[in-house]
Amino acid sequence: MDSLLQAALNGLVAGTILALPAIGFTAMFAVLRYPNFAVAAYATLGAYGGWMANAWLGWPAFVSLLGAFALAGVVGTAAERVVLEPLRPAGALTAAIAAIALNVILENVLRFCFGNDLLGYDLPLARDIRFAGLRIAPQQIENLTLALAVMGALFAFLAFTRVGKAMRATADNPDLARLKGIEPRRVELLAVFVGAGLCGVGGMLLGLDTSIDPLTGFRVVLSVFAAAVVGGLGSIPGAVAGALLIGLAEEFATLAIAPTYKSAVGFLAILLVLTLRPRGLLGERAY
Amino acid sequence: MTDRSIRLTRRTALAVGTAALAMPAVVRAQGEPIRLATLTPLTGAGGSYGPTMAKAAATVIEDVNKAGGVLGRRVQLISEDDQTNPEAGVRAARKLIDVDKVSAIMGTWASSVTTAVAPLCWESKTMLCTVSGADSITLLPHQGYLIRTQPNSTLQLTRLGAHVLSLGVKRVFQMIPQTPFTQSSISIMDATLKKGGAEQGSLIYDDKKPTYRTEVDQALRFNPDLIFAAGYTPDSVVLLKDIFRAGFKGKIIGMAYSINQKLIDQIGQAEVVEGVYTFAPSPAQGATAHERVKKIAGNDNPDPYTCQVYDHASMVLMAIAAAKDASGTAIRDNVRKISQGGGKTVDNAVDGIKAITAGEKVDYVGASGPCDFDDKGDIIDCKFRYEQIKANKRTLLKIA
Amino acid sequence: MSGWANYIVFMVATGGFYALLALSLNLIWGGAGMVNLGLAGFFALGAYASALLTVKLGAPILAGLAGALLVGAVGGYVVTMSTTRLRGDYLAIVTLGFAETIRLIANNEIWLTRGSDGVSGIPGPLKAELGSWFNAVYAAGMIGIVALVWFGLRRLDQSPYGRALRAVREDQQVAQVAGKRILRFKVEAFAISAAVAGLAGALYGHFNSYVAPDIFQPLITVYIFLAVAAGGVGRVSGAVLGAYLVVFFLESTRFAAAAIPGLSPVQHAAIREMLVGLALILVLRVRPQGILPERIPPAPRPASVT
Repeated sequence: MDSLLQAALNGLVAGTILALPAIGFTAMFAVLRYPNFAVAAYATLGAYGGWMANAWLGWPAFVSLLGAFALAGVVGTAAERVVLEPLRPAGALTAAIAAIALNVILENVLRFCFGNDLLGYDLPLARDIRFAGLRIAPQQIENLTLALAVMGALFAFLAFTRVGKAMRATADNPDLARLKGIEPRRVELLAVFVGAGLCGVGGMLLGLDTSIDPLTGFRVVLSVFAAAVVGGLGSIPGAVAGALLIGLAEEFATLAIAPTYKSAVGFLAILLVLTLRPRGLLGERAY
Repeated sequence: MTDRSIRLTRRTALAVGTAALAMPAVVRAQGEPIRLATLTPLTGAGGSYGPTMAKAAATVIEDVNKAGGVLGRRVQLISEDDQTNPEAGVRAARKLIDVDKVSAIMGTWASSVTTAVAPLCWESKTMLCTVSGADSITLLPHQGYLIRTQPNSTLQLTRLGAHVLSLGVKRVFQMIPQTPFTQSSISIMDATLKKGGAEQGSLIYDDKKPTYRTEVDQALRFNPDLIFAAGYTPDSVVLLKDIFRAGFKGKIIGMAYSINQKLIDQIGQAEVVEGVYTFAPSPAQGATAHERVKKIAGNDNPDPYTCQVYDHASMVLMAIAAAKDASGTAIRDNVRKISQGGGKTVDNAVDGIKAITAGEKVDYVGASGPCDFDDKGDIIDCKFRYEQIKANKRTLLKIA
Repeated sequence: MSGWANYIVFMVATGGFYALLALSLNLIWGGAGMVNLGLAGFFALGAYASALLTVKLGAPILAGLAGALLVGAVGGYVVTMSTTRLRGDYLAIVTLGFAETIRLIANNEIWLTRGSDGVSGIPGPLKAELGSWFNAVYAAGMIGIVALVWFGLRRLDQSPYGRALRAVREDQQVAQVAGKRILRFKVEAFAISAAVAGLAGALYGHFNSYVAPDIFQPLITVYIFLAVAAGGVGRVSGAVLGAYLVVFFLESTRFAAAAIPGLSPVQHAAIREMLVGLALILVLRVRPQGILPERIPPAPRPASVT
């Protein structure tokens, strides 16, 4: 019983790591209507951005998350404007394929600049806190809090600010939004900035637990996609729910089937959800 | 970090510049250069190993060229990327064999790449030196065109098992990703431990995951005195962090190719890796090549793979010198003449070539071991370096 | 044979495997507007099917190839059944996960696939008889097979079936109104396409005599997208041309990157992979119709109007 509870707790922790990139991916999808497969590279960029702020500028790890957000956001926005936006008239799939190519390019730009050596942040690791027979790492509580705070801020932004409302309106119906005087293009670029930035923050949180190298984002990207699809592509609360679900499913799978099949869990979850509930758990509404 | 990389580039640039200036004076080498190649993973899953391996070979060859080359000819190294993928590896090997006409390919890392590339090598009479661990590799019908410096899993794990027993542990838990030697690693360790009255539990994990908390919980439920972390560097980083967080108080042991200086630097926290035992093939106590590789690698704990590629390049060059012929067949026929069977002990190619040219018989003792091979191309025997991490440094416990 | 000739022969054969994969992708991407990001997975299915049939059961190579076609088709059918009712985005993500899952199974089900060791000793047709001519004859055979598949797919493309597929691609609703059974068309097209990818895998295995999970990584799918985009999406000949161009491109960047002085080997490798991505984006941007633009044949006039 304890082992099940512990696995559930581990699953939640693993899920929160997936949640931020999944939100970023789904938010970009909600506004732009194509799956931006470059999220793996955006997450890796964030890990490096945070590392540069942490190691070169000497910022504390949690302040360095700003660096992660900024680098991934800026590169993501620039890539959208220069590479992906002009391809969107050719169709969502063309843009999606170009995003895969972009992912290859960004991964190798990082490899060119930093090599393949593993890098780490200057952040001391602490032993787990124990309570009621369970254990959790203090840093993971911080990650969880942080992920929740970012999600809260994002919801507030979408619900209460003018730009946020414009973003939701564009996601719901771009034509109607244009009639109301919202310029879709600005909203789109903003969505990419925030979306890619969140992937970057997620990538840095990932890097805190693992290590930073050109494949940091790639290793988890399938779970991120699975989270977004399971939750309903384009739905932000769906991405959060999907991420937690995938996290839980992967940990329970470790107990039930061979741990080597963890990466297949996301795929099975997608198949299952799409067969039973094709629009995802929470549908496709953006917020 | 940047400081260091800038210094490194500057140093390299300086070295290249000086070499260029000194070229006419030093290299009296005539005619077509002798071409050798490295085929290491520079991208993909093995990417954290390949670059330093390629660099080790380049340094050996640079040294030999500075000393006048071999057979009066300059040596040229071509480094290709196998992308940790047999398909890409085979394409690269074809180019090296057919277009560059190299006499030897060195440093193939992933067992799948080595298995795919080996037939190309023996069919074209090109020597292949590998660091891959899968037992099946030396069983291929390679006609002698393959040697491997990595001890096979039987040799490696019986020794490791004995060492584990000597630490006085009774319950061992092995955590290992799915690799070509996973099954043998578990079964050989099992047998060795049973003979010594100890028990083993094991778990095969997915090497791409950002956390192994549940896996570590499963390991701890076995109540082990020692955890054998048998992965590669990127996944071992995550695993060691999670073992530390779980508050595991027992001993930890891992392969030195995984628990290497890069891993220690990456974790950056002495406590997490303090006391971890590592294990690597080694020459006997007092052998000097290892010291040389430290200088090449730029740190006190060179990666075992880097040591092995240093040995590949040194042996190939000496075999060419001994054969007075740079063909792949000449290397095959002479590599055992310079690596074993007595003679003047040498630890580097420059001295070795000098001695061979002077008509002496040499016996190369490398950085990764004595480098003596059986007919299959496996190393006959070697010692192992048992080290323990103390204050972020691997410190030598014993060589045995 | 030796030297450059040998190298070129090998690349012609490699181009043949790529061409089959490109034909496979073109059928669904160009034909039905669906995307398969799991091409590597179907490539793997065929490679393992044929390798295991011939090595473990001692079946003749032709039976292996037939098995690969069948297993590929079944795999394609299973993957599309759950997603065809959804938008292409979902299919894209599902296929991506499918390829990784196949790789995991190949890696872990050691009793069946020999795990990460891979299956070696896969027989090649007449290998002993041909000796050093094996590669050349096989390459020629590949050209023949590619031509055969090309011919078949072109016939399909120009048949009423191909036109119906295009109708599905252009506008599902209109096609549906016109009485086309969209779902069936899509599943069938995908299954045929997956079968061709499986065939490519089988032929790859019999040529190289070895398959292992490491071969079937996502990058190969990117190469094939580049091939189809460069050749011209929707144009059967374009896919073949594009595949050979990609092999030429991949190999020539080796020489080009090595010519840049002062870089480490890992930087050369990074530049080479970067160029693949850059080429794909440039093709999509600068010449989205590819080198050989799609030609949509006019519908045949009915002989008599009744």
